[in-house]
Amino acid sequence: MSPVPRPAGRATLLRLGFQELDDARDRLALLGEAAVELQEPLAETPDPDLALRGLVDLLEAVDDPETLRTRIVEDRQTARRLLQVLGGSRALSEHLLRHPEQWRELDDDTLASTRAPAYFMRECLVRAVGADPQAREPIASIPDTAAVDALRVEYRRLLLRLVARDLAHAVGVDDVAAELSDLAAGTLEAALAVARARVGEETAGSARLAVIAMGKCGGHELNYVSDVDVVFVFEPAEGTDETRALRAATQLAANLMQVCSEHTAAGTIWPVDAALRPEGKAGPLVRTLASHEGYYERWAKTWEFQALLKARPVAGDRALGAEYVAMVAPFVWAAASRDGFVADVQAMRRRVLEHLPAAEASRQLKLGSGGLRDVEFAVQLLQLVHGRTDAEVRAPTTLSALHDLTQAGYVGRDDGRTLHDAYCFLRSLEHRIQLFDLRRTHVVPDDDASLRRLGRSLGHLKDPIAGLEKQWRHHRREVRRLHEKLFYRPLLSAVARIPGPEARLSPERATDWLAALGYADPAAALRHLEAMTAGVSRTAAIQRSLLPVMLEWFADAPDPDAGLWGFRRISESLGRTHWYLRLLRDEGEVAERLARVLATSRYATDLLEREPNGVRLLADDLTPWGGTTLAAEMRASAGRQPCIDDAARAIRAVRRRELLRIATGELVGATDVLRVGRGLTALTDATLGATLELAERAIREIRGLDEAPTRLAIIAMGRYGGLELSYGSDADVMFVHDPVPGADPQAAAQYAQAVANELRRMLAMPATDPPLEVDADLRPEGKQGPLVRTLDSYAAYYARWSAVWEFQALLRAYPAVGDPELLTRFMAMVDPLRFPAGGISEDDIREVRRIKARVDDERLPRGADPHTHLKLGRGGLADIEWTVQLLQMRHAGQVPGLRTPRTLKALAAAGEAGLLADEDREALTLAWRTVSATRNAITLVRGKPSDNLPHTARERAGVAAVLGYAPGESDEMVNDYLRVTRLARGVVERVFWG
Amino acid sequence: MGKQEDFVLRALEERDVRFVRLWFTDVQGFLKSVAVAPAELEGAFSEGIGFDGSAIEGFARVYESDMLAMPDPTTFQILPWRGEGPSTARMFCDIVMPDGSPSYADPRYVLKRTLSAAAEKGFTFYTHPEIEFYLFKDTPNSTAEPVPVDRSGYFDHTAQSYGSDFRREAITMLEAMGISVEFSHHEGGPGQQEIDLRYADALSTADNIMTFRTVVREVALSQGIWATFMPKPFTEHPGSGMHTHVSLFEGDRNAFFEAGAEYQLSQTGRQFIAGVLTHASEITALTNQWVNSYKRLLGGGEAPSYICWGHNNRSAMVRVPMYKPNKGQSTRIELRTIDPACNPYLAFAAILGAGMKGIEEGYELPREAEDDVWSLNERERQSLGIEPLPKTLYEAIRVAESSELLPEVLGEHVYEYFLRNKRAEWDEYRVQVSAFERSRMLPVL
Repeated sequence: MSPVPRPAGRATLLRLGFQELDDARDRLALLGEAAVELQEPLAETPDPDLALRGLVDLLEAVDDPETLRTRIVEDRQTARRLLQVLGGSRALSEHLLRHPEQWRELDDDTLASTRAPAYFMRECLVRAVGADPQAREPIASIPDTAAVDALRVEYRRLLLRLVARDLAHAVGVDDVAAELSDLAAGTLEAALAVARARVGEETAGSARLAVIAMGKCGGHELNYVSDVDVVFVFEPAEGTDETRALRAATQLAANLMQVCSEHTAAGTIWPVDAALRPEGKAGPLVRTLASHEGYYERWAKTWEFQALLKARPVAGDRALGAEYVAMVAPFVWAAASRDGFVADVQAMRRRVLEHLPAAEASRQLKLGSGGLRDVEFAVQLLQLVHGRTDAEVRAPTTLSALHDLTQAGYVGRDDGRTLHDAYCFLRSLEHRIQLFDLRRTHVVPDDDASLRRLGRSLGHLKDPIAGLEKQWRHHRREVRRLHEKLFYRPLLSAVARIPGPEARLSPERATDWLAALGYADPAAALRHLEAMTAGVSRTAAIQRSLLPVMLEWFADAPDPDAGLWGFRRISESLGRTHWYLRLLRDEGEVAERLARVLATSRYATDLLEREPNGVRLLADDLTPWGGTTLAAEMRASAGRQPCIDDAARAIRAVRRRELLRIATGELVGATDVLRVGRGLTALTDATLGATLELAERAIREIRGLDEAPTRLAIIAMGRYGGLELSYGSDADVMFVHDPVPGADPQAAAQYAQAVANELRRMLAMPATDPPLEVDADLRPEGKQGPLVRTLDSYAAYYARWSAVWEFQALLRAYPAVGDPELLTRFMAMVDPLRFPAGGISEDDIREVRRIKARVDDERLPRGADPHTHLKLGRGGLADIEWTVQLLQMRHAGQVPGLRTPRTLKALAAAGEAGLLADEDREALTLAWRTVSATRNAITLVRGKPSDNLPHTARERAGVAAVLGYAPGESDEMVNDYLRVTRLARGVVERVFWG
Repeated sequence: MGKQEDFVLRALEERDVRFVRLWFTDVQGFLKSVAVAPAELEGAFSEGIGFDGSAIEGFARVYESDMLAMPDPTTFQILPWRGEGPSTARMFCDIVMPDGSPSYADPRYVLKRTLSAAAEKGFTFYTHPEIEFYLFKDTPNSTAEPVPVDRSGYFDHTAQSYGSDFRREAITMLEAMGISVEFSHHEGGPGQQEIDLRYADALSTADNIMTFRTVVREVALSQGIWATFMPKPFTEHPGSGMHTHVSLFEGDRNAFFEAGAEYQLSQTGRQFIAGVLTHASEITALTNQWVNSYKRLLGGGEAPSYICWGHNNRSAMVRVPMYKPNKGQSTRIELRTIDPACNPYLAFAAILGAGMKGIEEGYELPREAEDDVWSLNERERQSLGIEPLPKTLYEAIRVAESSELLPEVLGEHVYEYFLRNKRAEWDEYRVQVSAFERSRMLPVL
């Protein structure tokens, strides 16, 4: 009983995977009875809507729709093949509509079982252009335009059969890639036949030309659509001189490339790219064997040998091609002994990553991190290194080579399998993406329709989008993880006797390798490795899995040796604590931060070594904490200590931890120079606040007082007042006090003095953290004046004595800690002084300039370079700050925005008020940021502050690295510094000196 | 060790080389040389030869004097003038800092950097210099006027002249060092010669010019005469220039060529010229770096002193030579200001930098100057919008000081040093009492 045709319900259509339900129902109705039989094969296609629409169109286009209808109803396999093609590739659907009779190609049972051999495809293609496949040098016999078109149609016909196999019969991705390469080889042969016809038989006969495939085609692992990389080699035919042969071969090669690349009415095939030839695009298109050899002997670079790994003759003169491959093989397998080989290879990869447009990077299949290129790179690198002595691992195909490397023990079995799976997945995904439009792309689309189609074509029929994304993410992560391991793991095997089928490396090779990676003392590095990984303890086992990736991070930093040595010391003091190694192993980011910190910054390394537990902090958020949170913690922590000095140490321990947080944040690029300044200021506020309370308590206890006789406050001055502290800065302050009513002024003053001294003592006493120097030299009368004054005394002093430079210093006064009311009164007292309503007088302006001129001259330390001194040099901090301060003193009375202790804020306000041109403001802002960031970087790298750009190369490289320059760019950093400060000085000349 | 290094080491062995001279150039354009024994060379390739940079004009800030010279093996050549027997070879060096980063003070790196900036835009820069120089009978002596080796003029053929002998030998040596010579002849002044080097990429040409100046001096000394590249040794005779033909290539296509355009000159070519003209005054300090250079520029004749361009106009600063049919690849422009006493690395970098600026910013090319600019009067030039080039080193320095282009091209270090050095030269020069003043004034005042 035949089923009664009835329209499928909406639910059924949805279940089958249709999106456009109304259209689908109409079209299914057009199919009549066939619709029922076709439901299931339609549901299996990547895009049922597209497949159905294609089928309906095709039925209209063919001469004999009944036969087609009958065949697909009768033969389920034919239906699957046809619908898979129609639903998986828009480009091939269009091809079928233009050549509807070709549907019969898919009505062929052998497709399910038989791969078309290379010779067969070559024959089909060569015949298509009217050439004799048996001839030694086939020549196209049909007219040129017709031949070019015929080649395209035939190529598509063969491709159609291959795609049907791929989509409907689950052929492995490696087989598909190999068949595509065979198809390309045949196409090149046919194109050569057309080229021969173009240049004429006589010319063509004067040179023997071989086409060598490189890259993916050479490796027998081509994509659906990509450039086919080739190199041409020729020899003069017997009795021809070389010049003539060269001309003939060049013409042949150029024509061959054109035949393949040209876009004609019949479409295009793929571009042929000969850029991998010696000298690249600048070199001659064809060369003789001897000329190739000469080049590879003398000039070739490492990457060229890496490319030659895949050289394979595919068309033209086979004997010559074979000679070429035999000639290059020794070069390829000697490449790994070249100087700086590994560094070259890594630099290449870095360049590839850098040139990726940022928007694409995350959706790139090929070049992004964890992409196909990572697998290929890793495999090729291992091949070049180990293939030198081991002929077993020289296969040109990535997957075969990976298999061989695994068999031979250079790659662990699990790693090998994981990489294999990831590579297969990524390639399949790439194939399906390219197949749709037959367009060359390696970017995963981000629209839902495409993702749904791709997901379905890879077997995720339910929830295709999420399924696909998840699988992709998984493989990408695995590749990234393994890629790092593959490079560095062999180093460990040189020192640790790792059991099992792992890679082997002699200690001598390991030393070479470490040196090539940038370790200045590889022998010591190897000793550290040995010390950390020896033995069978759990610690050693974890270190063994941790170190390969740590070694890479160290190698990317300015001082790898210091990094490894520091890591060993910290590991030795923490190795047995339960959390340390687990933290590093489980939280990849912590290990990376630790590596970066240890191999870059002495300052942070010192902090860590004094208190190794600080490593824990690296797992935290690195945003600097606010002052209130810090103050509360310090107070609580101090309150738990019975003894005063221990309480002070507790406060300072919190400070040490926070210094590490801020330093690490700046080192990993999470915290910029302004945030660092604000963070350090908040930290200093909290520290001074908590310590001030502590000091008052101590003095009250000593003197047996219940109540303090006076109220105390601390005014921040200088860079501290400007919220612009850097790591090594002293805290510039002024102490102010105000006796409570009825207190004896003398006793109050003595009390205040004692508290200030006690505070300074607590913060300066030796401990495991960097002391905080409290500097009160900016107070009235400087060092000669009393350390602490009353508010009235300050007022009296400023009213009577003060010179313009003291008001200038007050510009950066900022109410830091202590009695809030007193702070407010102090600020109210100084505001009219520092922001005079009418601005300062001409005399005062002249005086400021005169002082600056003298300071420039006298304060610069002997031997310092006036161009690069950070503080007093040309366009340095003093230049910028004095310029800003002069503007403030002249105009802050009128422009409220200028009343700020912070340099950049004042600059912005001056810009807004029209006191500074936009470009001047930008120049000063940029210079201030650059110089401040450089100053911080210097302290971080050297471990102690300095106002000179470092003299030694290693320190300078470190500073450049902290500032974000790539290795080898340290003199560029200096150049940039000089440029920025020169431009700033130009502004200072005009604005400050007037 | 790479193949090129191996090639050099093998050559040392085969050619019985006893000394290798490592060459580099200071900021002023003087050649510096340090000799090493062949046994040291292998180390030099991998680690460089350390030297005290602060002792070299313009190299180091005092406190970071350690620098390394890294020989460039592609520049290896046997020096031909050391006679038979054991020979001496030379290589140019790149200067690097101890951490391996290239030094911004190295003129060769200045040019390399500019070239790679152009390469990022897809261009390679080719130059072709025509170098003029004088030959004198004796070594210089400050009191007497120098005596040229002959009295001939432009293209004169002089029987058994010093000049042609000299040129023959110099050219033989240059060719022996792999430097192709295109053309040579007697120039306009007595004893003045011209030798043209073959087209090559700018870095090779600059290396070649450094070699050329050395070879020419060596050959002269071996014949008991004196060669000088001083831009203007005589008041009354023409000065020595180094007219330089330049072009840009994109891959193997000449980017200045466009079939059918006016003078077959492409948009790129026109913008390049516009760039050179717009920044002409700024880069003059580099193309004409000595006090004496300006006496040539003011001297008329083949030397330009106005900023303009013309087709086959020999009085223009930039000349677009006549187009030869089917020679698209040789489309080029000729720069006529530059003199042979420049630092070729810096001068080429400045020219390329100015030209690239024109391309990047899409400068408009001003009207062509069709007349002999020398014969126009001040007002005519003004109405045609033709500006003069700096008339003295001092003017050139002043313009260079406010240039944005120069620090970008030269790098901050070289820019600063160069200007400081030139200011000092000018200050020293302007207090000199000259023979001119004495001969004019002593008799009458």
